[in-house]
Amino acid sequence: MQAVVRVDQVVKSFGNFEAVRGVTCEIRRGECFGLLGPNGAGKSTLINMIYGSSRRSSGQLEVFGLDPNTHARAIKARLGVVTQENALDEGLSVRENMELYAAFVNVPKDQRKKRVRELLQFMNLAHKENDPIRFLSGGMKRRLVFVRALLGKPELVILDEPTTGLDPAVRHLLWGKVNQLKSEGKTVVLTTHYMHEAEVLCDRLVIMNKGQVIAAGSPKDLRTEHAPGYVGVWDKASDLVSVHKAALERSFQVIEDSSGLYVRAPQLENLLDLQTSVAQPALQLRPSHLEDVFLKLTGPELNVDA
Amino acid sequence: MLEHSPQGQGAWKLSWHIVRRNWWVYRKDFLANISPTVTDPAFMIFSLGLGLGAFVSNVDGRTYLQFLAPGLAVGTAMFTAFFETSYGFYIRMTFESVFKAMLATPIGVSEIILGEFIWVALKSALMVFGVSLVLLLFGQFHSPQNLIFTPLVGILVGVPIGAIGLIATCYVSNINQFQTVYSFVISPLYFFSGIFFPIAQMPEWLQWIAKSLPLYHGVVLCQSLFWNEKILETWLIHGPILIVYSGLLLTWAYFKVLKRLQS
Repeated sequence: MQAVVRVDQVVKSFGNFEAVRGVTCEIRRGECFGLLGPNGAGKSTLINMIYGSSRRSSGQLEVFGLDPNTHARAIKARLGVVTQENALDEGLSVRENMELYAAFVNVPKDQRKKRVRELLQFMNLAHKENDPIRFLSGGMKRRLVFVRALLGKPELVILDEPTTGLDPAVRHLLWGKVNQLKSEGKTVVLTTHYMHEAEVLCDRLVIMNKGQVIAAGSPKDLRTEHAPGYVGVWDKASDLVSVHKAALERSFQVIEDSSGLYVRAPQLENLLDLQTSVAQPALQLRPSHLEDVFLKLTGPELNVDA
Repeated sequence: MLEHSPQGQGAWKLSWHIVRRNWWVYRKDFLANISPTVTDPAFMIFSLGLGLGAFVSNVDGRTYLQFLAPGLAVGTAMFTAFFETSYGFYIRMTFESVFKAMLATPIGVSEIILGEFIWVALKSALMVFGVSLVLLLFGQFHSPQNLIFTPLVGILVGVPIGAIGLIATCYVSNINQFQTVYSFVISPLYFFSGIFFPIAQMPEWLQWIAKSLPLYHGVVLCQSLFWNEKILETWLIHGPILIVYSGLLLTWAYFKVLKRLQS
C-alpha cells in the first residue's frame, strides 16, 4: 500500500529537551494508524510536525510526498485535524463556527451551507445548528470538532485524542464514524489513551515512550508478541500480594500497580488453577489486551513530569 | 514568511478569513464592544472639553475643546489597537485556543499575523472615523471634508500600537501583566503625546521623548485635519515617520509571534 506519511529518524528538540527522538514509521493509504503512549511520550509533537504546525529539528518527514516544513499549506489543504482542545469560537453558533472553517479550508462559497448541513446531520447535530457553542455539552462540542475536521473532504484525518472525557455512547458513535471514514478510503491517524479504542479502530499502531517508538505492529501482533495469553486481576489487599507474590513471579509475568495485581499466564487454566490454589477469587479473568502490552512496555509507574 | 500558493487560497485570502472571523465575533456583542469607544470620548468632551475648558481661556489660540478633539480621536485608535492585540490576541491564543484550530487548516502563522494586523488597522480606522464624526457634530472640524482622511490616521496609529500590543503579548506570562504594559507604556503615551496639552509645555528632553514615540505623530496628523492647517507639510513629515514605525514594530512583532505560535 502507498505511504501517505513517511517519518524517518525525526527529532524535535525544545532547547536541551528532545520531545521526539529519532522516530521512524510509515502511515499507509486507507489504514487507521494509532499513536499510543503515556502523557509526554511525544505523540502530539509528532502530529504537529506532520501537519506543519511545528518544525522538526532533524530527520526526514513527508506527507503526500511533500515536506511539511516547506509545503505546510498544500499538505493542510488535504488533511483534517481533530485537535486535542476543542478550540471553538464560544460566542458563535454551531453553524457560524462551521461556515468560518469551511472558508478556511476553501469550500466554495455556494456549497458551504450545504456541506455544513450535511456534516451536522452526519454527526446528529443539525438540531443545534443555531445554538451558541456555550450551550453545547462536552460531547456535542467534541462531535462538532470531529465534523469540522471533515469540512475540506480530507484524504488524511488526524484525530488527536478525539474521545478523551466522553461518555461511552458518544465514544461509540465516534468510533462508528471513524470506521465510516475508513470505509470511504480515508487514512486516519489516531492518538488515544484508551487502549480498547486503539484495539477496535487501528489496523496498525506504534507505542511511543519518552519520544521513541518502542513497539510497532497490528494490535493482534503486539498482543501475541508482548502479552500473549490471559490475565487475572487480584485485589491488592489479598494474600496473593503479601504471601505469594514472589513465588508467582517465578512462574508468571506479574505487574503490581495501585489498582491491583495483574498476573498473566499462557492459558486460562493456569489462572483458574492459581485461583484454586491460593483460595483467592480473582476480580477479573480475561484474555490479554492492548493495555497489558502498553503497561508491560511503558511500565505502570506514573511519569511525574508528564 | 508568507508561503506562495500556486493553487488553492493565497496568503491574502487566508489572512482575510482572520479578519472575517474577528468581525463575526465582534458583531455578536456589537453594542457592548462599541460603547466604550463612543462613550469615553463623549464623556471626555463634556468633562474636559466643556467642563475644564471653561477655565482654560485658550490653548495656542484655540478653545480647549478645539485643542482636545483631534487627540481624543487618535487616543481611540491607540486604545482600540492596543486592547485588540494585547488582551484580545492573548485570549484568542491561550484561553480560546482558536489559533491552534486555525493552524490545522491551510492558514499559517504568517496569515494569522497579517490577518490580525489588517483587522486592527480596519478597526482603528473605523473607530477614529466614528469618533471624528461625533466631534464633527460638535462642530470641531474647521473643514468637514477632512473627515474622510481620518481613517488614515487610524491605520497609521493602529498598526504600530497594535504591534506594541502583540510584542507585549509575546513577553507576558499571564494576562494580568498587561496592566504593567498599560501603566508604563500606553498611559504615558496617552498623557504625554500632546493630546491634553501642547508638548511645548514639557521640558525639552521630555519633548524629544514624546517626539520619538508614534502617538505624537498621529496627534499632529489629526490636528492638521481637524484644524485644517498645513495638511500637506504635516502629512509629508509625520506620515512617513509613522510608516517607518509601523514597518519596524511590525517586523519585530512578526518574529516574536512566529516564535510564540510555532513553539
